[in-house]
Amino acid sequence: MNFLRGVMGGQTTGPQPTEAETIQKLCDRVASSTLLEDRRDAVRALKSLSKKYRMEVGVQSMDHLINILQTDRTDSEILGYALDTLYNVISNDEEEEQDESEDENAQKQGDDAGTKFTEKFLQDPEHITLLLTLLEEFDFHVRWPCVKLLTALLKNQGIQVQGIVLVSPMGVSRLMDLLADSREVIRNDGLLLLQQLTKGNAAIQKIVAFENAFERLLDIITEEGSSDGGIVVEDCLLLLVNLLKNNSSNQNFFKEGSYIQRMKPWFEVGEDNSGWSAQKVTNLHLMLQLVRLMVSPVNSPGATASSQKCMYQCGLLQQLCTILMATGVPADILTETINTVSEVIRGSQVNQDYFASVNAPSNPPRPAIVVLLMSMVNERQPFVLRCAVLYCFQCFLYKNQKGQGEIVATLLPSTIDANSISAGQLLCGGLFSPDSLSNWCAAVALAHALQDNLTQKEQLLRVQLATSLGKPPVSLLQQCTNILSQGSKVQTRVGLLMLLCTWISNCPIAVTHFLHNQDNVPFLTAQISENLGEDERLVQGLCALLLGICVYYNDNSLENYTKEKLKQLIEKRIGKENFIEKLGFITKHELYSRAALKPQPVFLSPEQMLFDHEFTRLVKELEGLITKAVHKSSEEEKKEEEVKKTLEQHDNIVTQYKELIREQDAQIQELKEKVASMTTQTEQLQATVSQQQSQIQQHKDQYNILKLKLGKENQSQSNNQGDTQVNGLQTEELSQLREQLEELRRQQTLLQTQLSEKDAVIDSLKSATQAAEGPAGGSDNTELLQELEALKNQVQSHLAEIGHLKAERQELQRRAEAASSDTAPPSDNSSDATNAELQSRLAAQTSETEKLKEGRSELEKQLASATSTVAILQTEKSKLQTEVQESKKEQDDLLMLLADQDQKIHSLKQRLKDLGETVEDEDDIDARDQTSDEEDEDED
Amino acid sequence: MAYAYLFKYIIIGDTGVGKSCLLLQFTDKRFQPVHDLTIGVEFGARMITIDGKQIKLQIWDTAGQESFRSITRSYYRGAAGALLVYDITRRDTFNHLTTWLEDARQHSNSNMVIMLIGNKSDLESRREVKKEEGEAFAREHGLIFMETSAKTASNVEEAFINTAKEIYEKIQEGVFDINNEANGIKIGPQHPTTNSTLPSSQGGQHAGGGCC
Ligand SMILES: Nc1nc2c(ncn2[C@@H]2O[C@H](COP(=O)(O)OP(=O)(O)O)[C@@H](O)[C@H]2O)c(=O)[nH]1
Ligand SMILES: [Mg+2]
Repeated sequence: MNFLRGVMGGQTTGPQPTEAETIQKLCDRVASSTLLEDRRDAVRALKSLSKKYRMEVGVQSMDHLINILQTDRTDSEILGYALDTLYNVISNDEEEEQDESEDENAQKQGDDAGTKFTEKFLQDPEHITLLLTLLEEFDFHVRWPCVKLLTALLKNQGIQVQGIVLVSPMGVSRLMDLLADSREVIRNDGLLLLQQLTKGNAAIQKIVAFENAFERLLDIITEEGSSDGGIVVEDCLLLLVNLLKNNSSNQNFFKEGSYIQRMKPWFEVGEDNSGWSAQKVTNLHLMLQLVRLMVSPVNSPGATASSQKCMYQCGLLQQLCTILMATGVPADILTETINTVSEVIRGSQVNQDYFASVNAPSNPPRPAIVVLLMSMVNERQPFVLRCAVLYCFQCFLYKNQKGQGEIVATLLPSTIDANSISAGQLLCGGLFSPDSLSNWCAAVALAHALQDNLTQKEQLLRVQLATSLGKPPVSLLQQCTNILSQGSKVQTRVGLLMLLCTWISNCPIAVTHFLHNQDNVPFLTAQISENLGEDERLVQGLCALLLGICVYYNDNSLENYTKEKLKQLIEKRIGKENFIEKLGFITKHELYSRAALKPQPVFLSPEQMLFDHEFTRLVKELEGLITKAVHKSSEEEKKEEEVKKTLEQHDNIVTQYKELIREQDAQIQELKEKVASMTTQTEQLQATVSQQQSQIQQHKDQYNILKLKLGKENQSQSNNQGDTQVNGLQTEELSQLREQLEELRRQQTLLQTQLSEKDAVIDSLKSATQAAEGPAGGSDNTELLQELEALKNQVQSHLAEIGHLKAERQELQRRAEAASSDTAPPSDNSSDATNAELQSRLAAQTSETEKLKEGRSELEKQLASATSTVAILQTEKSKLQTEVQESKKEQDDLLMLLADQDQKIHSLKQRLKDLGETVEDEDDIDARDQTSDEEDEDED
Repeated sequence: MAYAYLFKYIIIGDTGVGKSCLLLQFTDKRFQPVHDLTIGVEFGARMITIDGKQIKLQIWDTAGQESFRSITRSYYRGAAGALLVYDITRRDTFNHLTTWLEDARQHSNSNMVIMLIGNKSDLESRREVKKEEGEAFAREHGLIFMETSAKTASNVEEAFINTAKEIYEKIQEGVFDINNEANGIKIGPQHPTTNSTLPSSQGGQHAGGGCC
């Protein structure tokens, strides 16, 4: 609390001790009284003291008042008093009014206090959230002071409060609701609040726009009478400016929401426009500013272009043009309207064409362009208006070859119309008028008619001027240099030099014309070499630029002034270093960078009107080229010529390379895809194998069971003298089984050979892919190969198992045969008893054999299923084989392609090397290309 | 251009899932592989036709980063539709859907139509989230579902249009209060009352809703 004491100490008219005590007592009552009425009275009393004893009330009561806001939510009266008191303590606005007569020091002290109290209030961000909730209270006595308090807090600590509002989900939305409040005071103060809230915070601006701000504000503007409306309209417009300035997202929303169309009626002016109120002028200024925000040259070109299109289609541009031609419009509105029209047409062919067709309502009607140019070269017109007209003319010609042609045509002998004033006449008049400002404007305007337009540069060479009676006509080009040499004002000479530089740059014929006059080069060298004062530095720099252009764009058609001769001249008369230094005077000039900033010509005073924006771009482009050109010897130049040629060749080669890389890229992609599909195939294979494995396991189990059974049978048979017939049958079955087994074995061997064939294929594929893909596809491939390897191993182990089974089977067979031979010779000793015994034994044996038979048939079934499994496996194997075959063929094709390309790259590289170029190793290029490719993917 | 209805959408989901690309593909019909990170919120718009009616879609593309979450929340309430996007090649973006959904449900109006989008369907080989999983999530939470590719434009139109269809149906059923703009729905300037089948371009010029 030290800071507050400090502030208080500075207060000259401190309260009487009794007042401080009173405030203390009131605060105690607010804090501790259990009766609502009592608390309410105390807060009301604090409020009444809060203006006069702002410090004391602020320091002592803030916490208590915030507490009231939190706890006495149901009583709007006490809430109102508390909010009012807080507002009086925090706001600096009241202070301003009171302190108007007092000294600045006291004012500053008040501001300090407001800031400190605001900081104190913001110590807990929840306090702002609390105020946002209180806004929902409909009672005027709560909502209004709440709005004012929030506004004051925003004014004092904008960024902090914005941050808190931004993260409370309903915050902005609640504030927006204020615009819908039927009580004007609240709506209007809500506007002020939103102005503060949106200042410099794009995120809030977007949310406010999302909450339909455009719609509501435009509605209010219309309801209030558009430009004829009062300060509320102004406030709405200010808020709109906040929302659109430097916020491309909102600008896009504004355009897409069809709100540009709703601006058109703003500019409907009547017949008589005298006696506009100051408010109307302010409103219109803001309205024009809004139009300009949507088409500003600093916006993205696409955004500006679509807004421009829209402004033409909805008639807004036409409306603005009627203001241009209307009578009685205040000069500053007229000026701003011209600036606005300028940016609405800049670079937009349709809008430029429309502008060219606009006529002034004079008799006879004259083109608006002509009428405007008349103002530009008229000394009596306000400076800012003349600048605006120049801007408009520049914007009309910007990227408008057609318009440039039309302007230049008005100067050409064949098309001059003697009966009416033309743009060309006005420009020539301006160029040679005694008014240096007119000279400058006309020179720059004419330069814009030539900008990036070789045809018009050449056309303008045809223009001849009649100077005085009896003397032969002089070319426009020559007349310009004549005036230069007559030592006119700096502004005039700067203008003319900029025109000449623009004119002859990139136009060798114009350079020749210029050099053809024997006086011009000596004049320039004299200007550059002399040691002149500060004022002349810019002119010297421009002369150096002009001479430099004569060197750089020289086609050597004049023997006296070839590139080489001019350079020798510069070296002898001026000195290379001196020349370069003088050339540097242009960009070092204090006004240069200002002009480079944006297209609109804006000057603090008429004397500062020296640089044109487009010209600064030309300087930027030429300075380096000329410096190089002057420094270079002729040999170097020749070499450069050659280098240029080889460079061109190299460019071609590089293009070819790029093409190649692109192709290779595609191939790599293809290969990758193939690897992927092979991976899936492997997966399928793996699944089949595991299926196979489990089936084999089943078979093994069944064999085991069978083996056990057979073992038992053998035992019983060896104990008995069985029935041959039965046993014979058994043998037959056994041999059948054996045959089947044999068949199975054959199939297995077949499969095995197929598998090893496949192995070989995979091996060769592996080496092929490795060779083809290099490091990129390698990992995929090894993975695949590993998988295949594993697969192979599995199949191998299956085979081993099958072999094992086979052995067991053979063993079983052997034993079965042994059993049958045991039972072969039956002994005959016919005794009834033995017979009966034998018979019963036979019966037992028969039943056992029966059982055995059942077991056999089961075995048979199992064998059948095993056989079909093998069949399935076989088809799958063959499918796989063909697939492998196919992919091998594709790989081969790819390999061919790659080899082909390698060959091409190699020969190209060789050619490059032959040409003396250091060639990057192709692998490097490849590798880099691949890594960047992968990075791209990683970003995804 | 005159429209019968205007719907406000928001696009939400983790950063990098392709929200901005989806919007660009829908509004400009192009794909920009190297794309600026969205800072805060960006706006885009397009006209579509449903049931013979012109419907203007205004779309706010949000930044997915955690630090912008609270800002994003300000947009939920006023939106009629939301595209909740994840990336089928990044499981974490799918895992975060629950959080997104909770956030959306908490701050939006209850009728907001949410379309779940599994983007980058062109990257099949790098897929980490099965289509069935997306479908199951959508079914479980009552969302519409689609897989899209902002790169190949596959299903992009459909995603935006199907969301609009769902909103449109809700309007027809009387679920939405179309007179409350806070729901993200607005009736066009000269809403055709009965003869809605007439081509709307006829009334366009007179209504002052001129050009773009
Ligand atoms: N392959 C592919 N890449 C995409 C797709 N959509 C977006 N991307 C890429 O994913 C990255 C992030 O996209 P972006 O739209 O900026 O994501 P956001 O942060 O959600 O707005 C960019 O590199 C895009 O090129 C798609 O459908 N397929
Ligand atoms: Mg984005």
